[in-house]
Amino acid sequence: MQFRQWVYTVPLRLRSLFQRQKADQDLDDELSYHIEQKTKEYISSGMSVHEARRAALLEMGGMEKIREQCRSARRVNTLQDFFQDSRYSLRMLRKNPGFTGVVVLTLGLGIGANTAVFSVVYAVLLRPLPYPNSQELVSILERNEHAAIKQRGCSYQDIQVLGDGKAFTNVGGAVRHQLTLTGSGDPTTVGTVVVTPDIFPVLDVNPVLGRYLLANDDHKGAAPVVVLSEGLWRDRFGANPGVVGTAIVLDQRAFTVVGIMPSGFRIPVVEPHQDIWIAISQDPLFSTFLRTRANSMFTFGRMKPGASLAQTQSQTDGVSAQLASDFPAENQGWEVRISPLQKATIGDMKTPLLVLLGAVGLVLLLACINIANLLLARATSRTRELAVRQALGAARSRIIRQLLTESAVAGSLGAIVGVGFAYWGVRLLRLLLPSTTPSVDRVELGAWVLGFALLLSATAVVGFGSAPALLATSSEMQRNLKDGAQSGSSGARLKLRGFLAGVEIALAMVLVVGAGLLVRSLMAMTSVNPGFEAAHVLRAEVSLPRYQYSTPRQWTAFSNMLLERVHAQPDLKDSALAVPLPVVDSAVNLEFSIVGHAALPPGMPATADYVSISPGYFQVMGIPLLRGRSFSEQDSMSSPLVTMISASFARVYFQNENPLGQTLMFGFPPGPPVAREIVGIVGDIHDSKLTKEAAPMMYVPFAQAPFWGGELVVKSTRPSSAIVGSIRQVVRTIDKNLPVTDIATMPDVLQESVAQPRFRTWLLSAFGIVALLLAAAGVFGVLSYSVASRTREFGVRAALGASPARIGTMIVSEGLGLAFIGLIVGAAGAFALARLLRSELYGITTHDPVTFLVAAVALLSTALAACLIPAWRAMWTDPIIGLRCE
Amino acid sequence: MSKPSDVVQGTLDMLLLKILALEPMNGFSISQRLKQVSGDVLQVSDGSLYPALHKLEQEGWITATWRTTENNRRAKFYSLTILGRRHLEKETTNWSRLSSAISRVVKLREA
Repeated sequence: MQFRQWVYTVPLRLRSLFQRQKADQDLDDELSYHIEQKTKEYISSGMSVHEARRAALLEMGGMEKIREQCRSARRVNTLQDFFQDSRYSLRMLRKNPGFTGVVVLTLGLGIGANTAVFSVVYAVLLRPLPYPNSQELVSILERNEHAAIKQRGCSYQDIQVLGDGKAFTNVGGAVRHQLTLTGSGDPTTVGTVVVTPDIFPVLDVNPVLGRYLLANDDHKGAAPVVVLSEGLWRDRFGANPGVVGTAIVLDQRAFTVVGIMPSGFRIPVVEPHQDIWIAISQDPLFSTFLRTRANSMFTFGRMKPGASLAQTQSQTDGVSAQLASDFPAENQGWEVRISPLQKATIGDMKTPLLVLLGAVGLVLLLACINIANLLLARATSRTRELAVRQALGAARSRIIRQLLTESAVAGSLGAIVGVGFAYWGVRLLRLLLPSTTPSVDRVELGAWVLGFALLLSATAVVGFGSAPALLATSSEMQRNLKDGAQSGSSGARLKLRGFLAGVEIALAMVLVVGAGLLVRSLMAMTSVNPGFEAAHVLRAEVSLPRYQYSTPRQWTAFSNMLLERVHAQPDLKDSALAVPLPVVDSAVNLEFSIVGHAALPPGMPATADYVSISPGYFQVMGIPLLRGRSFSEQDSMSSPLVTMISASFARVYFQNENPLGQTLMFGFPPGPPVAREIVGIVGDIHDSKLTKEAAPMMYVPFAQAPFWGGELVVKSTRPSSAIVGSIRQVVRTIDKNLPVTDIATMPDVLQESVAQPRFRTWLLSAFGIVALLLAAAGVFGVLSYSVASRTREFGVRAALGASPARIGTMIVSEGLGLAFIGLIVGAAGAFALARLLRSELYGITTHDPVTFLVAAVALLSTALAACLIPAWRAMWTDPIIGLRCE
Repeated sequence: MSKPSDVVQGTLDMLLLKILALEPMNGFSISQRLKQVSGDVLQVSDGSLYPALHKLEQEGWITATWRTTENNRRAKFYSLTILGRRHLEKETTNWSRLSSAISRVVKLREA
């Protein structure tokens, strides 16, 4: 339609839409004028008044038909019909509160759950990162194929070279640390990110107050400055703007506050909890080995505007080559690789999240199938109504439209309820999501998420509304008018409903197997024997400010004093110090060599996890001494250097040799490798995580390898609060400014370490259970309907002597037949899902027979339970009622 | 078609537009005029006249106003719009092409 036409037609349409009565009145006036004139004409030709009017009317034909034709010429009927249908649907829904409740609630739960899960998917996977032009941001890693090292952070030097090069606008690095904040309130550790100042222009987020770190803050001899997070600024300093320019005390050293970063600001990946940012050359720890390869930082770069990833990568390749030739000692064999930052932040969350989204999508699909089933059943009871309407001349399309409108109205109500559920679902998910989930604070019910809910609802309505509408108006309708509602058991509809129930079983099977696999994996994870006894062990971290306690001698003195005083307490007698603790801390993996053994081929460096412990550690942790001796108080700085190894170390590297008395060479950076004699062998433990196999370990005495703090482990059956109190008291007697942090019982720590898999498992199990219930409802609905529509048949059977048992068996086998077909199809689907889940599984195979068997049994018994009531009804059909029933 | 009764749809549209091209008219006068000009060959029932008029109005080819007639009665008068005139021209050309083609065919003598 061209624009000129609108000039005429739009006012007409609006008028017929909003002034419908006026338009109808005009039409009546027009027609009656015609009749009048015609009558006059006939009268003047000699007819009587009565005759003339009759003739005029006759010539006109059916008035009502003409009116309807004129109205439909106005073309706004569709819209008017829609309003009419909507009103009618609302009336119908009000009249059937049970039906309405089930539909709205089922759909609402389905849409709510989907929207909530999608909010997480959106926040973690889809939403652009909260930095300007975030598509320019890349994560920069180094890899060394000869040494089989897939990825590690860049060194300080490489960051400087990359930043000065042409490939990027800016390059910055960051590592996590913890410093102790004293002075303002209780001493506490603050999540510190140690950065090269260029990280701020890379991320390009402005401070709310003051400035961020600048390049000269990182120069040697620069005054120590710190940037605070808005959160810390509010909590600790009452959001006082005067803090900027004043000094705060970190690790007993004054840092001048120069700026406050907004609350959402975070340097990606490094650490979820960030309170302060300082320049790396100001950091007490990292500044000491700034220039060595051992210092590797999470590195991020901003590509030049408009540059593609490939272009930037090829420019970076040039830098890698340059670095290798300029610094062969450090950079030979290392290549710099870039990848989009979003990919780096997502980490390994993609598959599990998509699996969850898929699972919850299946739940909605099940809900829709159930609603479709319900609508089909209801359409049956309305067969007569619809048949009459069709007979009276309603077009099929018109009836389909009406039925679809009814679905849409119910669907809209469901969507509204769904968004309500989603609101709570999102809040619940934010509580339940493990804090290690990236972007967890950005999970919210935003515009995109609501748009998703809308799209989903519309799809659902079309999904569950179309089949019933099409079937209800099929050509056999005409027959239904004759047959009446009851025996109009259209085969097509029953077949469709049976098919739908089968599909439901199949979907439920997929979900139940998926959930089952995760549950079994979680069980396997939590029942892993970590190699140490976690029960009744409590850990607490004590870290020393490195400016005051700057020499290893001071650390040793402190740890000796700490242990001495701790051991003096009756309830802390069973205690020891260690760095790092298994599972709790990230493992320290060091290269070593064995004196007298041939050097290993390059690219295959021998490494083992390194732990520095005080005597008594093995006893507290319940790690068995297998051979040789344990460390004692005699192993000190002045005695020969010693080490102990784990059983797998001995097995892998010494095979048939006796390791005791042999010498290992290794050192904790930045120190050089030193020779240590192996004096003992202990049992294996799972060091980095529960799900990772026990790896070779080497232990050293704390006194010979001191640290600026450590983890105190205490074994005691007394309540943990009492123990924590005692520890705090002891620490305070040594230095009142020392914080005791990260207090937790070991069993809790182990549980926490599987928080992500546990979260997934619970969520998927919940979906699995809902799916099971929905499938049961589906089977129940189909069988009940089938039984109800065959009352007569059962009457005849009973009259002819079929025993109730026989009829019951017939119904049950009908139901189980459906279930069985569904199961087989579902099992195939479950195999596909298991393949996707492979990376999440632990201790079981993707086709774990136990899971499949249990899932099948669960579904069959659910289906059986759903068969029982309909079967019972069929069994006890009174032959007389059955025969009369027509 | 045994009886030349019902006017083919589309042709009716053209007839109505042509009649209205001469002067604005109300529905009754249009029906009179139709009979008058075509004799009894084209019988347009009153019943199909009004839906057709309304359709033309919705297409934007004719527009309607309420006016008083000579005998002081309110009646709905239809008149042609610019778009209607253009459409009529197009249809007329089509029609003459079609009818001359048909008459050529009909006049073919059997050889």
